[in-house]
Amino acid sequence: MLDLDGLRKELIRCGIAPRHVRRTVSELSDHYDDLVEEALHDGASRIEAHAHASRKIGEIADIGAAVRARPELRSWAYRFPRVAAVVYPLTFVALLPAAPVFLGYAYGGYVIRWVACLMLSAIVTATMFLVLQLAITLT
Amino acid sequence: MAQSNPPFMSGVPELLLLRLLDQSEMYGYELVRSIRKATGEAISLGEGVIYPVLHSLERNGSLKSRRKAVAGRTRVYYSLTGKGRQRLQKLHSDWQRIQGGISTALEAPIHA
Repeated sequence: MLDLDGLRKELIRCGIAPRHVRRTVSELSDHYDDLVEEALHDGASRIEAHAHASRKIGEIADIGAAVRARPELRSWAYRFPRVAAVVYPLTFVALLPAAPVFLGYAYGGYVIRWVACLMLSAIVTATMFLVLQLAITLT
Repeated sequence: MAQSNPPFMSGVPELLLLRLLDQSEMYGYELVRSIRKATGEAISLGEGVIYPVLHSLERNGSLKSRRKAVAGRTRVYYSLTGKGRQRLQKLHSDWQRIQGGISTALEAPIHA
């Protein structure tokens, strides 16, 4: 079987942009399946078909080397580390105040339930105070 | 193991891919089969290595891709752009020049 997970980890470690890693792995996986189907169609057994597909697709190390040999496929942070060292912290600091908004948007359902519970508990507390106040006033 | 090609083949997969995609859009597996057929199996690629070439060509604007669902599977089809056609013409003329030079050198008598 093709070690696509190993390839994915190696490419990420080498700084290949995540979208290229995803596409490479996905297209290789489809290609491998096509090769297996082709071999099965030609009468090979399942084991032979997988061996044929692995042979045809080549060594994972060679594929990794072919990807690494193309610097344009690397993520920009890997290509321009000094720029990234400035831009990333600045972006982080700029976005930090907006984090609650983003989180609220991402977890809207939880936030609405949390606010509803908070309001309910406030109403219950206010009612208790009101009852206490009435009890004190009336006695 | 897939038979690899020597280092002087560098640039050939790119030329072949552009040439084939000039005719019609294709996906990776289809392209490899077409290369095998078009070159009479003279050029044998480790099939997995065409994807970095395709992605690189797409990144520099020579190719464009689109996803298409075929028989329950999503395939990435590549096609040539105007820039890709220009690149193909340049690579083609470079290849003919090199081929001509090598042929001349091989056919000429060698003087020590």
